[in-house]
Amino acid sequence: MIGAAREAIVLPLMFLTVALLGGLQMNSATAFAPPSLFALVLGVLMLRILVRSGTLAPERLLSSSRRVLENANGAVVLVTLWIASAQIFTLLIPASGLPKVAFNVYFLLLMLNTAAADPDRPRLIHSLAVTFGTAFVLKFVVLSALSDPGGGRLARVLQALLEGITLGTLTQETQHPAVGYVAFFVLALFLTGVFMLPSRTSARHSRWLPA
Amino acid sequence: MAAPTSETTVRAAGLLLALVYASFAAWLYVRQPQTFEQVTGGLTAAIGAYRIDQQAFSDALRFFNNDQFVEARQALARADPAVRDARTQFYVAYSFYRQGWGRFYHDDTLYRQGVEAVDRAVALAEGGRLVVDDPSLQIHTAEELRSELVAGIERDTSDINPLRLLRERR
Repeated sequence: MIGAAREAIVLPLMFLTVALLGGLQMNSATAFAPPSLFALVLGVLMLRILVRSGTLAPERLLSSSRRVLENANGAVVLVTLWIASAQIFTLLIPASGLPKVAFNVYFLLLMLNTAAADPDRPRLIHSLAVTFGTAFVLKFVVLSALSDPGGGRLARVLQALLEGITLGTLTQETQHPAVGYVAFFVLALFLTGVFMLPSRTSARHSRWLPA
Repeated sequence: MAAPTSETTVRAAGLLLALVYASFAAWLYVRQPQTFEQVTGGLTAAIGAYRIDQQAFSDALRFFNNDQFVEARQALARADPAVRDARTQFYVAYSFYRQGWGRFYHDDTLYRQGVEAVDRAVALAEGGRLVVDDPSLQIHTAEELRSELVAGIERDTSDINPLRLLRERR
């Protein structure tokens, strides 16, 4: 019963909340940004890594031995997980300029490298927490502080220097302070959801993907 | 092996809940509401329960007929905080038209805002058709109003026709 509630209610609602709030932008106007095509591709890579590591056991969500309603619940979990993964990348990748390109390349290489390293479930969750946490700090603390026009004198001098050096491609549009808190909540919710996914006991005995 | 009824209920309820929540999220991404009033207004409009504030609308009409267009728009915003009523948006557009109209030249900024408002009105109207039966107005359809506004923004040879000075505001 607990497994059914987790699969049918808790996980879909968690991932849908991530998908909903992950695109929230509050600058001059409030807007919900849909995931970019690149973020959707990164989301697919994330699913692949989750399956390879055993963090997600798709056979426990979709299989011919399950009833139609159970498979429908499983399909909802998989689809919402994919969209939530894409939105997490949308959330963490800066909106414009050099940082956007750098973060895109960084996440692509990271996903490919993680897939090649073939980590097990604990290592993957640890790795995701560290990687996403670092990207969060870089975007919402460092870049945000560098782009804040209301900063102190030193910050403005540093900003002018960086603007000159990077030809204005570093600074981002200033976001409402609440966005950082929402992003932190969304990230924590996503990682919790990933931790709660139905997993495989041994990733090395996967029948779904070649080792 | 048949699953217990309670588990089936949980799974069915979960599926329904997820679909409703996903529809709500998709609606937010498509509509892009800017305020909480727009969210609640959009949801009530979806079930046909949205109503404008009639008192504020009456105030707006009084301001509008007195050529107090800024005040009229403030009252219209109070009447339709969710921006879901086609008729109210028509009056918003009309107020931009009348305020921006000039015998020698029109205010392009106000006219552009008028075009945005009339486009909103058309998008909200059922089947895109909007007719306002108000005898105090000289323009009764969204198409005519939009045409007036767009003609005011465009630059062409009719701008130098001296007879345009004889035109009256509608």
